[in-house]
Amino acid sequence: MNKIIRAKSITKIYSKNASVSVEALQDVSLEIEKGELTAIMGASGSGKSTLMNVLGCLARPTSGEYFLDGENVNTFSDDELAKIRNSKIGFVFQQFHLLPRTDALENVELPLLYSERSDITKLAQQALEVVGLANRIHHLPSELSGGQQQRVAIARALVNDPEIILADEPTGNLDSRAGLEVISVFQRLHAEGKTVILVTHDQEIAEHANRIIRIKDSKIVGDEKVQNPLIAKDELENLPIEKEVM
Amino acid sequence: MKSLRLATNAFKGLIKNKMRSFLMMVGIIIGIATLVIILAITQGANKKIMARINSFGPNAIMVHSGGGKMRGPSSVFDANLTQKDLRDISSIEGVKIVAPFQLKPEMPIKYQSQFTTATVSGVMPNWAAAWKRGVSKGNFISTEDVELLKRVCVIGETVKKELFPGSNPIDTELLIGKVKFKVQGILQKRGASPAGTDFDNLIVIPFSTASRRLMNQPKYIAMIRVLVDDPSHLKMISQQISRVLRHNHHLSSDEEDDFRLRSSTQIVETIKGVSGTLHIFLLLIAGLSLIVGGIVIMNIMLISVSERKKEIGLRKAMGARSKDILLQFVLESLAITLTGGILGFLVGILGVKIMELVTSTPAVISWEALALAFGFSFIVGIIFGVQPARKASLLDPVEALQ
Repeated sequence: MNKIIRAKSITKIYSKNASVSVEALQDVSLEIEKGELTAIMGASGSGKSTLMNVLGCLARPTSGEYFLDGENVNTFSDDELAKIRNSKIGFVFQQFHLLPRTDALENVELPLLYSERSDITKLAQQALEVVGLANRIHHLPSELSGGQQQRVAIARALVNDPEIILADEPTGNLDSRAGLEVISVFQRLHAEGKTVILVTHDQEIAEHANRIIRIKDSKIVGDEKVQNPLIAKDELENLPIEKEVM
Repeated sequence: MKSLRLATNAFKGLIKNKMRSFLMMVGIIIGIATLVIILAITQGANKKIMARINSFGPNAIMVHSGGGKMRGPSSVFDANLTQKDLRDISSIEGVKIVAPFQLKPEMPIKYQSQFTTATVSGVMPNWAAAWKRGVSKGNFISTEDVELLKRVCVIGETVKKELFPGSNPIDTELLIGKVKFKVQGILQKRGASPAGTDFDNLIVIPFSTASRRLMNQPKYIAMIRVLVDDPSHLKMISQQISRVLRHNHHLSSDEEDDFRLRSSTQIVETIKGVSGTLHIFLLLIAGLSLIVGGIVIMNIMLISVSERKKEIGLRKAMGARSKDILLQFVLESLAITLTGGILGFLVGILGVKIMELVTSTPAVISWEALALAFGFSFIVGIIFGVQPARKASLLDPVEALQ
């Protein structure tokens, strides 16, 4: 099988100053195959966000090797890492991180600004269609619900057609219905063959994945397959109807 | 394509933050507006100087009777220049024309029932060449007119308008004081001097007639107009004239001149002396407001870099390289200063127009002003934009996103 992510003995040490340093990752090794839907689970401070930053090429490991899509990214320059982030990785954050005073379409166009693509408006429109927001393209973030904002963020993560979607607590700021809607988008992307990594502290969210990697005190402490992942779409249908969110 | 997109994006960001952008621009607007106004005033002043020089004659020296600091022409009452002075000045090398004339301002002129007052000048035939001004109609004063002390005159347009509205003055007789003169020509129109003297409210008569019959000054000459071959010799020839006159008038070295010499170089110096201080002061204001404007921009940019940490982190996570962020912030700063420059230019033009209306100071708006406005805006944008942009570009994406 095609291993899109291969991390070998990754260590990440943050030194605040000469005397205080924090070891955020200790000897972490993991492999993720193309097309997997993986959850990385851990309590806050466990090192899961650091792991995501390293996997997303936002931070360099202090030691160890990291192969992304067969390439050793340790050897890459900052500009090359930026290019990798632009073309191979799509980020989704807990706080959405949408630009204020900027409509959904322009928010989704953002990664394309830094690519060599030219048809940016069309691609952004398509990405918004994928997340079901084709009729909201000119809405500002302040005019959208939390769930809709997060779906704009997912469209932004998708727009460059990356290999991997990295989502850091994507449901953390959402109510359960909106959270399930977001998870169902990830499950659909997974079904379409994308590699999706969900970072979460929530067992229930993690059970929507096919595989759960548990991290505690900067180390991987568990790695298991999920036999029958929860299907967000079915759960949504069984939720008592409150109001139409879409 | 990509950089154009980033530039458009930087502009859009400014439009989304109108108030912040405007506040950042204020200093630049004031600075550039001041600069435009100063340039307009300077060039207006230069134009005025040129006009003064041209109407005076760029290669002319005026010799006035009487010393002291008095300005304006000398009248026959002050006359103390002699025929010998005239001859000696003529023999100075480089002197082309020496035209003596008598002058009496505000003389009463009468024709039938019409009255006016005009400056009357007794001239030699070479007056026309010395002033580059002949007749538009009829005949000028001839050598014969002077020799025979004829009572003939040539009148200016203003005199004609006052005394002969709608009729032909040629060959009519008018009274200057109590003496009858026959009008034999009309002087070419010259208009008002930059100082406000009306050159057309003038009547010229033969030199001899003026000296003996009208002004009772048979011995001395009121003024002499000297034309030199080249304006660059003005200073040297002025000094020689001064020496000759001091010698002829028996002035000892501790006595002041009893004559005055005026030439275009002195006119330029007088005007420049007055306006120079003002220009330096205004330039200082413009420079200061540009620097202050730049510092304001830098400060607000630095604050906005801290405020926009998340945006910068996000952009980096989405694949922006450090140089893309640097470019974005420099472009934003440039967009502000250049827009400020354009607005400042427009405000400056408005200021110049208002000033022209209120003070009637001549001002010239030129392409140089526009180029300078753009140039300075650009320089300020770069100088004060780079530091905040560098700070933004060096942010660590992980820290910025927290």
